[in-house]
Parts: sequence; C-alpha cells; structure tokens
Amino acid sequence: MAMILYHGEPNGPSLAVLAALGESGVDAQCRRIDLLAGARHTLPDVTEPLARDMGVEGEGPVLVVDGEAMTESVFIAQFLDESGANTLQPKDAYAHWQMLMWCRRITERCAPAAAFLGCKASAQPVLAGMDEAAFTALSTTIASEDLRARWTAVRAGNFPDEQLADSVTKVTDAAKKVEDQLADGREWLMGDLTIADFETYGWLAGMVDLVPDAFAGKDRLSGWLARVAARPSVQAALARASVPNPQSSWAPGPEINRWG
Amino acid sequence: MAQVTLYHWEPNANSGKPMLALMEKGVQFDSHYIDMLNFDQHKPEYLAINPQGTIPAMTHGTRVLVESTAIMEYVNAEFDGPDLMPANAQDRWRIRWWMKFMDQWLAPSFSMFGWKFFVGPNALAAHGQDKIEAQIARIPLPERQTAWRKAVFGLFSEAEMAESGRRIGVGIQMLEAELGKREWLASDQYSLADVNGFNLAYAMPLSQPHLANDEVTPNIMRWLRAIYRRPATRECWKLGRTPMASRVEILEQDYIPPRDESEGISSGVR
Ligand SMILES: N[C@@H](CCC(=O)N[C@@H](CS)C(=O)NCC(=O)O)C(=O)O
Repeated sequence: MAMILYHGEPNGPSLAVLAALGESGVDAQCRRIDLLAGARHTLPDVTEPLARDMGVEGEGPVLVVDGEAMTESVFIAQFLDESGANTLQPKDAYAHWQMLMWCRRITERCAPAAAFLGCKASAQPVLAGMDEAAFTALSTTIASEDLRARWTAVRAGNFPDEQLADSVTKVTDAAKKVEDQLADGREWLMGDLTIADFETYGWLAGMVDLVPDAFAGKDRLSGWLARVAARPSVQAALARASVPNPQSSWAPGPEINRWG
Repeated sequence: MAQVTLYHWEPNANSGKPMLALMEKGVQFDSHYIDMLNFDQHKPEYLAINPQGTIPAMTHGTRVLVESTAIMEYVNAEFDGPDLMPANAQDRWRIRWWMKFMDQWLAPSFSMFGWKFFVGPNALAAHGQDKIEAQIARIPLPERQTAWRKAVFGLFSEAEMAESGRRIGVGIQMLEAELGKREWLASDQYSLADVNGFNLAYAMPLSQPHLANDEVTPNIMRWLRAIYRRPATRECWKLGRTPMASRVEILEQDYIPPRDESEGISSGVR
C-alpha cells in the first residue's frame, strides 16, 4: 500500500502530521506542495477526492492511500499511529477521551483563530499580489464554496476587527490551557507523549511571534514548546522546510464557528 | 460494574448519539431526561454535572464525559458488545472524518433550521418573553446565549439561513453519493458513523421532503430504513417524549414521494 503525504511548509496541521508520521515509523513518501499556489486542489492520482474537497480543516495536509485523499490532521495522525508504532494514543478509554477532547478544543477554537491571524500576517500579501486571472484560475479548482470564500477574504484583506480580537483571545486561551495543564510538572500534555502535543504545537508555535503576550511569563509553556521542538520527529519535519521561518507559513484554515 | 448515567434530551441530534450507541452495545444505563425546552440543562443540578450547560453528558462511576461523538467513542472502547469501529485503520479514519464533517459542518446547518422553526418558537410560547430573557441570561456559554437569542427572537439573518440551506443541500447529496458506494456510511460494517448519521438524518424525509425521498435519494432511504429496523433503534426512540421523536415513524412507509419544500417546514419539528 503506497502512501503519499502531501504537506505544506512544516507548520500548523502539516507539521503535526509530519511529526506523527516520524513517530509512527510508517513508510510514506512526503511531498511538499505550495499550498498558497492551490497545489492541494490539483493533486495527481486522487480517485476519492471527497475528504480533500470538503474537509473542515481547510488547507491541511493530504495523505493519499490507494487513491483516497485522507484529511484532518488529528485523524491522519491517528491513522498513522494505528498503522505503525501505536504509541501516540492512550490505551485507557477515558484517557483517550481526554486526548480527543483536548484535540477538539484545539481544532475547533485555536486552529481557526491561528489560521486567521497567520493568514493576515503572511498569506494576505501573497494572495493580494496574484493577478486576477491567476487567482480566478486557482479558485475555480477549490470545490468547497465556503473554503473558496475564505481564500477570497484573505486575498481581499477582509479581516474584521471583531474576529481579530476574538482570535487573539482564543490563541491566548489555548496558551493558558497548556500552561495550566502542565502545572503538576508533567512533561507532555496528556502525561505521555500523544497526538495532542503535536496538534497543539503545530497551531501554537507560529503564534509566539504574532501574539507574544499570550506566551509572556508562561515558563511551563515555553519549556514544553522547547521539548516538542526538540523531538527528532519534529526536527525531521522542520528540515523539510523550503523557507527559513516555516512557522510563518499559513494558508486558509478552518472556518470561525458560524454560530458565534 | 460502575454505574452509567446518561443525561439526554430527545433521541435526536447530539443526545441521540450516545443513547443509540449504548443501546447497540447493550449497556444498561440510567436514563436521565433533560427537558431542553424547559431549560433543565441550565439548572444547578445539571450544571454540577456539566458546567457548560449542554446536553448530552454521561457519568460512568466517578468519570464525567461530554461531547456526543467523543462519548460514543468512549462507549465503544470501554464496554463489551458489538464493535462499532472496524479493525481497518483506513475505515476508522473514514468514520472519524464523516463524524467531524457532520458534527461541525452539516449538523449545525440542520440545527439552525430546527432552532429557528421549532426550538425558539416553542420555548417562547411555553415561557413568554420575560421569563425567557432571564433564562438566557443564565446560560453559561456565550455562544449558546447568542444561539438562544437568535432562535427565540427570530434573529437568524437571511444570509445565515441561506448558507445553512445550501449546506443541507450539499450534505444530502454527499450522503447519497457515499451511500451509493457501500451499504453503510463510512465502512462495510455498521459503525459509529451510522449511529451519528442516523441522528442527523432520520427526519429528513419530513423536514426536507424535496431533497430526501425515494425518488431523489434512494440510497439514503435504504440506509435510514435499515437502521430504523434495528432493535436498538426501536428501543432508543421509545425514550422520546415529544412529537419530535415520533417523526421516526415516517420510516415505516415503504415509499416516500417527493413533496414541496414548504410542506417540510410546516410539518416539521426541525
Ligand atoms: N458538541 C456538543 C454539543 C452539545 C449541544 O450543544 N447540545 C445542544 C442540544 S443538541 C444543547 O445542549 N443545547 C442546549 C442549550 O443550548 O441551551 C455535543 O456534540 O455533545
């Protein structure tokens, strides 16, 4: 079963999945693609594109297995773990529930906020610099209407103040949650190293520069960021970067909750 | 074995997911009905269990669990009984993908219609404006306060409703296509994705009669009827106390013709 992992620069969900792949020992071919050029929407040899087209995560990595495009970083990480070393998920059902709950908090609240702030800082200038014809050609390859709308908003620089403020709050909440979780001196978020560490790291690492106040004075959080960064799996992922600061590479992410 | 207690409303949407999963596994549980339209979920007794004030919640001994889909995964892993997750890792991935897609993209669109046309107006009729204002002010999660205000006072914008309507249309087509590929939603065996999906979709032939019926979505209809025939589903829907749950009986009809969209809203508790 040949597996190809298409990923962006090692940041956000791409970083989380690359790290999980490294920990799992699974043999997959990694191919870096230019997310902001729309490369994710024109991958070769995809016979089951649904998850790529309609995934909630937006421009996350895509693992192609037997023609099926697999998306959503937490679930790809679970798949890789279960196909390989099987060390990144608690065996006890309740501890597993706690890990899933943690990951949901990150993917539902922190990820949309981080992607929003990250896109404003680094994706907006790139997309705004594209000429109209090129952007139109790109956007017609995006199957999901709401994801396409998020691309268009980034290009137009449409970042309402209210959502910016809300995003800063959500990133700050996530940073605080990590700091609090580590209060008992544990090394990793769930005690043992799990998918939660990589998923959280992926979305937060790039926020240190963008929302510095969220990290200020949080020593346990800083220590944990350094420990995750030092994992050989994370180092190997970062070595796949084609730019000096992959943590400032962003592409349109999950939508901000429509219910407010 | 430690006692299992489930705090739930009608077998529907989020409450119905752990209810049906427990029934399928054959786990005995103490059923604790929370009347959502009576705001039981914001009463101190319940907030002591789930401070977020949302349903469902489950206790297992001293453990407290929330989030309907995550509760189902716990139930499946923790208890004996038929396995509702297949052995193949790619199948499990597909089940998780569909559940997230339904929970975060599709279900909120269905529930926007449900809250606008059913939850909001019924709660307002039962309690009156002043009492409702006071109830809403007591809701712990700010986003739930917003949802209740919009539902009760008819404040969902046209753009919001149109976007939800679009997603319902797209989502139904996706389900129909997927169920054309295999017997069950996300794998070749009955799984948590089917339990989740049934709770989302069982009343579609009533609430979206123009989009879900035996003419345009035969695969969905076959799938809904197959789940309805399961003994666990029958048992589960008996725990319903309102006309909302009895909508499931539409699945006893062998043929459901297309009807106009307007008949959906008027017949429906969605
Ligand atoms: N994501 C949660 C959502 C729970 C939720 O919001 N439930 C609704 C009922 S389906 C609720 O409790 N509403 C009560 C309220 O908003 O007051 C889950 O799946 O369990």
